[in-house]
Amino acid sequence: MLSRVANALYWMGRYLERAENLTRCLLVTEELATEIRAFNDKLAQAEWIEVGIIFPGAGEATTDLDHLRGFLTDTDNPYSVLFSLGRARENARAIREALSLETFVTLNETYRALEARAAAGLADHADVRDALSAVHTGLMSIVGAVEHTLSRDQGWLFLKLGGTLERVYRTATVLRAKLPGLLTPPPDTEIPLYYSQWRSLLRSLSSLENYRRLHGAHLEPNSVVEFLLFDPHAPRAVRFGAASVKGYLEDISDTREVTAPGRIIGRLHARLSYADALPALPLLDEVQAELAKTHDAIDVLYFGT
Amino acid sequence: MDWERQAGAFDETFEAAGDVRPHYRTALSILQGLGTDEIERRERLQKLALLNQGITFTVYGEKDGIERIFPFDFVPRIIPAPEWRRIEAGLVQRITTLGLFLLDVYGEQKCLKDGIVPAELVYSRKEYKRELLGVVPPRKIFTHIVGTDIIRDDAGQYLVLEDNCRCPSGVSYVLENRNLLQRVFPELFAAHAVQPVKDYPDLLLQTLGHVAARTSQKPVVVILTPGLYNSAYFEHSFLARELGVFLVEGRDLIVEDNHVFMRTTQGKQQVDVIYRRIDDDYLDPLAFRRDSILGVPGLINAYREGHVALANAPGAGVADDKSIYAFMPELTRYYLEEDALLPQVPTYLGFRKADLAYILDHLAELVVKTTGDSGGYGMLMGPFAASAEIEEFRDRVRQNPANYIAQPLVQLSAHATYAGGRFEPRRIDLRPFILYGDKIRVLPGGLTRVALRPGSFVVNSSQGGGSKDTWVLAGRETAHVEERPGGAGAGRVLGGMGGHVGAPHVG
Repeated sequence: MLSRVANALYWMGRYLERAENLTRCLLVTEELATEIRAFNDKLAQAEWIEVGIIFPGAGEATTDLDHLRGFLTDTDNPYSVLFSLGRARENARAIREALSLETFVTLNETYRALEARAAAGLADHADVRDALSAVHTGLMSIVGAVEHTLSRDQGWLFLKLGGTLERVYRTATVLRAKLPGLLTPPPDTEIPLYYSQWRSLLRSLSSLENYRRLHGAHLEPNSVVEFLLFDPHAPRAVRFGAASVKGYLEDISDTREVTAPGRIIGRLHARLSYADALPALPLLDEVQAELAKTHDAIDVLYFGT
Repeated sequence: MDWERQAGAFDETFEAAGDVRPHYRTALSILQGLGTDEIERRERLQKLALLNQGITFTVYGEKDGIERIFPFDFVPRIIPAPEWRRIEAGLVQRITTLGLFLLDVYGEQKCLKDGIVPAELVYSRKEYKRELLGVVPPRKIFTHIVGTDIIRDDAGQYLVLEDNCRCPSGVSYVLENRNLLQRVFPELFAAHAVQPVKDYPDLLLQTLGHVAARTSQKPVVVILTPGLYNSAYFEHSFLARELGVFLVEGRDLIVEDNHVFMRTTQGKQQVDVIYRRIDDDYLDPLAFRRDSILGVPGLINAYREGHVALANAPGAGVADDKSIYAFMPELTRYYLEEDALLPQVPTYLGFRKADLAYILDHLAELVVKTTGDSGGYGMLMGPFAASAEIEEFRDRVRQNPANYIAQPLVQLSAHATYAGGRFEPRRIDLRPFILYGDKIRVLPGGLTRVALRPGSFVVNSSQGGGSKDTWVLAGRETAHVEERPGGAGAGRVLGGMGGHVGAPHVG
């Protein structure tokens, strides 16, 4: 397929995944901030700061509502949901001929709906929550349209590659931002909040239910970290993500030769299959760096940009 | 129905006595039977469908919201079968003539030597490409896709207003309008046998494949677009999807050893046919405009060597120049020894001394057009213009007479259009699409554009026009419509090259 089209599909996949990740993160953070604000104002504010580290670029804000508006609909924020959806749509529009009608239409509808809500102004928390769940449902429909209607050809592989790479990168970023705070146990009085935060971490990576199925309801920090890093089946786990990226790259390459990006991600996957969970932070730094290198190598090999 | 006629215009929907014309009776009674609330509900559905599906065009020079919906009026324009057969035969004849003219002016130039068209006029057209003299395009076809604009004068006579031999756009709206109307007003289609248009992509792909140089394999056809910010981008993308071909930009193509390749994730792939939606001047910076970043360096040489086909062929634009238009009746007689079946608008040429004097004396009554422009740009509507504007045009015409032509103002016919809760007359035109492949085929109907302001003549989408679904009824529906005497027979083969497609297509 055309390099330009492959590039647009890859970025469409990345932006859609980014929009989804942030939307989920906002749904969870809004709930957590509401829950803990009365107990510990600083902690609630810290949650927003962390979101800002994972999705950088938001302007200053103090109230929860302003934070939400900034991350959801501020188009000056290059990581806002509206910005990412807009970019996904621009990429889709530039290569409509490579997509199914359903894929473009669901994406366009979701974008238009959020754009209209942004224009109307988000009045209060209920309004924002409503907009967030509408976007989330829309994003799920887009994934559905992609699954149900797109041919499993090269274009599909580049779309999935972009989405998967974004997802695993974002998981690593979430962990890198949140673990330093979470790995230091708080004073006894704040233990309930502490567990709320761990629960939120799992939820923001849509992994709470998957974790419970494996370990039960008790949240053990070390097993949570281990689960999110190494679980071979959970779709948000870092190791699972690296395996997916590796798989798509192998499918894209039509020779048996190992490609440059394939080599980088293959090594990373092997490392994740045998590494220890702790210390987690240096490992996460390494994961982020290797993923960035993988992206660069894909860019050089396939897009020639 | 409450109906105020548009003064001066032929009324498409109502007879002079005030009765609805027979072929509109069923459709209008269905629409009126729905009631205002139901019609408005359907209009909302229709607008939402257009927005969600991204059926939009781009308006140049607007900073925000560069995408706009092309306004759609749901009252269909209906053409009875016998009337259409005459139009169709006329178009086949006209496209045949245009093809012969192009072969001639880039070949032996007989029509210039015989004085049918002044050589000086042809050579001075900016769309005439001297570089291509002597280059015969594959299978001798220059104009694979033509959109010819047709209007109806105050007597209801169909007149050709202009031919578009470069990159005529609008066909995507023909297909989408049909989809939309079928979805939103299905009851209209239950009551009428409308000739389908949905096999256009199939016919277009056949037309393009017909000129591929490599016959040993399935031809690789691509559509070349200037990109996302072009006003017709939606159409380029739509057609690529409907045809199942690659949509490429200039930067996706490279020329090596006079062959054209596209850059893919699996290396280079050779291209046989390029349906280019870029003007000649931007096609190849080595051949035409050096500053073009939309084009492909070396493309024209590859074309010259016959390794790639371009649709339409470069240089074809000279045939739709507005001053060449004036010679079409003579050219039809010259090449085909026939009279033109479709009449056209009388035209005064700035190029001719006598005509120029007349133009300058009658500016306030005439429509003055720049010869090479299209889309309603660069023109003066004398009867509606302020005197300062007329004087400005007088200077421009004087400075460069050969660049201007003038025509009397022709009334565009008026058609029932839904506006503000009622049906009112609005002016319309028609752009049928003609494909020239193994034979010449005319898509039944075409794009009807409608001026949305009362009395206005401006139908261009960029300037506030909209469009309608255009129906050509299948023959049996229209047995009661009188055949006008003297109409041309359908199905004749012209000059051994053209042909008529009568059988309804299954779309």
